[in-house]
Amino acid sequence: MSRAVHLDGITKRFPGVVANDEVDLTVERGTVHALLGENGAGKTTLMNVLYGLYQPDEGRVVVDGEARQFDSPRDAIDAGVGMIHQHFMLVDPMTVAENITLGNEPRKLLGLTVDRERADREVRELADRYGFDVDPTAIVEDIGVGVQQRVEILKALYRGADVLILDEPTAVLTPQEVADLFSVFEELTAQGKTIIFITHKLGEAMTAADEITVLRGGENVGVVDADAVTREELAELMVGREVLLDVDRRPADVGEERLRVADLSVEDSRGVRAVDDVSFSVRAGEVFGIAGVDGNGQSELVEAITGLRGVQSGGVALDRTDVTDASRRDRIEAGMAYIPEDRQERGLVMDFDLVSNGLLGSQHSRPYASAGRIDWAQTRDHAESIVEEYDVRPPDADATAADLSGGNQQKFVVGRELARDPSVLVASHPTRGVDVGSMEFIHDRIDALRAAGVGVLLVSSKLDEVTSLSDRLGVMYEGELVDVVDPDAVTEEELGLLMAGERPDDVSRVTPTDGGTDR
Amino acid sequence: MSDADREWVDTVRQRLIALGQTSAGERVLIAASALALSVFVGTIIVFVAGLVATCRDPVLTMGGTTLCYDPFFVFDRLFLGALGDPLAGGWSPLNPQFALTLRETTVLVFTGLSVALAFRAGIFNIGTQGQLVVGGLLSALTVLWAAPLLSGGLGAVLLVPLGVTAGAVGGGAYGAIPGALKAYAEANEVITTIMLNFVAVLVTRYLVTGPFGDPNSQANQTPPLPEVGQFPSVVFDPRTDFSLFALLLAFVFVGGLYYLLAYTAFGYDLRTAGIQPTAAEYGGVDAARTIVASLTLSGAIGGVGGAVYVMMILGKFQTGVPSYGFDGITVSILAGNNPLGVVFAAALFGVLKSGSTVVAFATNVPPQLVGVLRGLIILFVAMPEFFRLVGRRLAAGQEETGAAAVGGGADD
Amino acid sequence: MTDLLDGRPSGRLLVAGVAALVFVALGVAALVAPESQVGRLFGIVVSASTLAATLRLSVPIVFAAIGGIFAEKSGVINIGLEGLLIISAFTAVFGADLTGSLWLGYLVAVVASTALAGLFAVVCIEFRADQIIAGLAVWLIALGLAPFGSQVIYGGPNTKSVDTLGTVTVPVLSDVPFFGALFDASPAVYLMFLAVAVGWYTLNRTTFGRWVRAAGENPKALDTAGVDVSRVRYAAVLLSGTFSGMGGASLAFSIGQFTGNGPTMVNGKGFIAIVAYLFGNYNPVGALLSTALFAGLDAVQLRLQTTDLYALPDSLVQTIPFVAVIVVLAFVGKTRLPEAAGEHYESGEE
Repeated sequence: MSRAVHLDGITKRFPGVVANDEVDLTVERGTVHALLGENGAGKTTLMNVLYGLYQPDEGRVVVDGEARQFDSPRDAIDAGVGMIHQHFMLVDPMTVAENITLGNEPRKLLGLTVDRERADREVRELADRYGFDVDPTAIVEDIGVGVQQRVEILKALYRGADVLILDEPTAVLTPQEVADLFSVFEELTAQGKTIIFITHKLGEAMTAADEITVLRGGENVGVVDADAVTREELAELMVGREVLLDVDRRPADVGEERLRVADLSVEDSRGVRAVDDVSFSVRAGEVFGIAGVDGNGQSELVEAITGLRGVQSGGVALDRTDVTDASRRDRIEAGMAYIPEDRQERGLVMDFDLVSNGLLGSQHSRPYASAGRIDWAQTRDHAESIVEEYDVRPPDADATAADLSGGNQQKFVVGRELARDPSVLVASHPTRGVDVGSMEFIHDRIDALRAAGVGVLLVSSKLDEVTSLSDRLGVMYEGELVDVVDPDAVTEEELGLLMAGERPDDVSRVTPTDGGTDR
Repeated sequence: MSDADREWVDTVRQRLIALGQTSAGERVLIAASALALSVFVGTIIVFVAGLVATCRDPVLTMGGTTLCYDPFFVFDRLFLGALGDPLAGGWSPLNPQFALTLRETTVLVFTGLSVALAFRAGIFNIGTQGQLVVGGLLSALTVLWAAPLLSGGLGAVLLVPLGVTAGAVGGGAYGAIPGALKAYAEANEVITTIMLNFVAVLVTRYLVTGPFGDPNSQANQTPPLPEVGQFPSVVFDPRTDFSLFALLLAFVFVGGLYYLLAYTAFGYDLRTAGIQPTAAEYGGVDAARTIVASLTLSGAIGGVGGAVYVMMILGKFQTGVPSYGFDGITVSILAGNNPLGVVFAAALFGVLKSGSTVVAFATNVPPQLVGVLRGLIILFVAMPEFFRLVGRRLAAGQEETGAAAVGGGADD
Repeated sequence: MTDLLDGRPSGRLLVAGVAALVFVALGVAALVAPESQVGRLFGIVVSASTLAATLRLSVPIVFAAIGGIFAEKSGVINIGLEGLLIISAFTAVFGADLTGSLWLGYLVAVVASTALAGLFAVVCIEFRADQIIAGLAVWLIALGLAPFGSQVIYGGPNTKSVDTLGTVTVPVLSDVPFFGALFDASPAVYLMFLAVAVGWYTLNRTTFGRWVRAAGENPKALDTAGVDVSRVRYAAVLLSGTFSGMGGASLAFSIGQFTGNGPTMVNGKGFIAIVAYLFGNYNPVGALLSTALFAGLDAVQLRLQTTDLYALPDSLVQTIPFVAVIVVLAFVGKTRLPEAAGEHYESGEE
């Protein structure tokens, strides 16, 4: 075997951070190599260096035994390196063949006109060679995510890539699609291609890769053989200390019903039914979790509950009052706190300072406003107390939200929402993109809220998060709530099957008796 | 350059760099630079125009080419002329040219505020012109209608406020149309407001040629307003058509709008909706209602501008209203859409408008020059990145290290 | 994200359907009672002279619309089309006056308009200006500059008169009733049809057109495919200047003069062009058809002013095209803008 890629002592600095610190990476030709690490470990930065998007401050990039200088992706492509980004680089209204040939179109008529027949033919031949089931004339926005990913792979292959980099390729896939992707990996390596994929999921790295390089804090902390390593060893390499996933807590002391969702159906922005006849209720003092692969209607469900999206049928009741048609503002005032999944889009006004951001959602409510006039002194105190209590850094209420790191932004949003003294908290991916310390802190806070008798609806794609925090756990698949299980009794395999769309009848039933008091 | 001079230059440069680091300061700096650059480009345009134009007595003749306009003299007239030549002896702030400057400034404060309010809500109100026209006509008609009913002292007290209110109602209603179209039919407000400007001109022309026209005049206008239905002149000569009361009213609006934006829940809703609509929605702001309310309010302020134009300057409504609304766009953008900034930007633009008449009189340079400057200023203010680049170059010349932060930089 | 309105039936179809229905209804009424007011109105609508006027009025709008399509498809919203028309209308006359040749004047206009579009492109692409504000600036600069130039050179806001483009008459075909007007028209009209065809072909069949669309939908995809997004956008915006320049020159040479009072002779045509291409769904052929609707209404409106059919005041009749634009925009509502339209793109940004 020969080395397809060798990165030698790569260092990449950004203002204030060292994203990669003398990282080495060696990948043998014809193998699958996993780049494993937590968010922010520097995996994507390293791959962007290999793909020519970034230039390293120090170190060498060696491809095919030759030291290279990639000034742009174009150079990397010319050297046979292709990259499939986490967000697909596809032009949605164009066809599959148009996307694959973009920038390298076969031409006719003095080179002015695209030879569409030839493009379609070439793409079809390429797809056939690797056994991909892809229609060159399909419009990209009409095909599924798994197929779009294959289009991305074909795009790289069309440009003559021998080394394929995939950034978190499984994030948007169902378990079945993940399995399909891994068999694509096998087909590609069998034909001599080399694959590097970025992931933060231990299991995937162990299943799909031949060799695993683990990054932590921008450093290479170990290279292991996927067949020889254990889960625990990998986890410790990745996190740097033993991970305690289970939270010790006292059993839930459930009270009356706080939130009821009845026969709710919701359409997404394209008019496709995203939530299909979902019913559940959340009682005071319990956490109702919702697990599922991203994109199975969780976002639409949460938006319908919180008043950001209209419903097609069914209803939502807050403290036994129907709020189906209530405005967002009415719901806030009725005691619904909401940690949105996208803090930079929804939860914060990025150009406002923290004082103004602390007011978001309360701008019409006492004690921050009366008779339409805002009490800025009061509002400032409020923001400062959130900053202090939640250890938001920098500890400056005059800082604009955009100046904070993602984790600190999230802490501020969580602090603001929990300070509402809510009767219901809707938390959507509350720890997305935050560091481990902040994650534990936010989990403690949610737990404290539960102890104080708040009804919590927790939506997360992190299985360990929903299983450890929830008293009852619903699973969503293609808009339906397929089952509600006891998170302490269910196994990860059973959950995985439910998330992949297996009916609960086929999975051994572990539905809790009621309210999860058995914890 | 002596060492002392160099030191002085360095100090100034450091001050400028420091100013550029605060975002409000940066905005002021960019506005000032944009203005300077506009004047510079304007100078070139005047120079070129001077070469192209033919005239009887050129200021300069070189071979076969003649220069008809002296650019420096043009800008001297434009700025100093507008103030009534303060550098010459015997200057009085009451001079008619300065009154004209204040008069223009007054109307521009209203149109500037109108545009600024909409901008803060994330809405491009290009329709202030139309709202001003409609408000102006409605205010004239209301005063004409009410004058016979309110006799003597009552009229003197009530007619002007009534006219102002009518202007606000007319402009507000006319602003509500594109507001509703945007909020409920998602019709782009840039296009609808521009189209409504055309419609306003045509409909008011019909109204003053037909049903509400002055039977004693050939011009397309309403009958003249009674003296009591106009803003009274104080201090300044009545012939200058400038009233300190109107300027005072403009200041009241500036303060009111500042208070509204900074201290009220509605202002918070409006700013949030303008800067990040998705977050506003999350925070319980009703997007549709905020859009309609902002454009209505914006239109109302434009309409008051129309009322002031009618009741202070013209004393009647007449077709062919000057483009105060478009100037308002420049004023607002130059002011960074800040109500307090609008005062300064309007004053500056008042100088340009008033000065252009002096220029036309003194040099034959067409007064349309101001129209060119209006566009150039917007263009240059719209490209802060250019000035940041220049700022960085300046800073880099200052010292090699530690200058990266100048101009705030891009934070993405 | 309460985009509930997105699910409604296409407003585009609705407007087109209503227009067709009104036309048919007029026709039926005309058949029943040819001498009634409605009958005579129909007679005006289907007269060859109305078609001729529609074509003439369409020319500047269609040219500007095609230009606008290129710019917006590439991700740069060019709201300054009005300004490009104004500057080219003036420079066309000035150029023709200077050189004594209409076609050299035409060339001067195209160069001037392309240059102004180039300034706009630099400001938007290089200096990351807000595209809407920069577009407004282009409009206002031209709105000031053209009358200023006219005043300097010709001593008034209106220029002197030069020749018009005249008409090119195709024998035999021009004698066909109604449609004959298509073959007895100004060369600008034929150029307009050619521009529609070339515009459509370039956008949909050439590599450049494909890159333009990709630059507006997903610039990063184009960038990672090794095509320079900025260059594509520069080219597209410059093209918007070139097409608008042809539109402005054609407008000025249709009467052989530039008139610069008030909103100038362009009088909102650049803004109507924007609505025309939105309504035409960024398709040059669609833009031609929707322009025909606006220009047709304008043509009928002009004819109505000269007849005693309805005792409507001219001022009110003149509002018809503007009101039609608003109505169409309200019904078409939110169009599917290119995904990245209005956004600055910097290569290598994460």
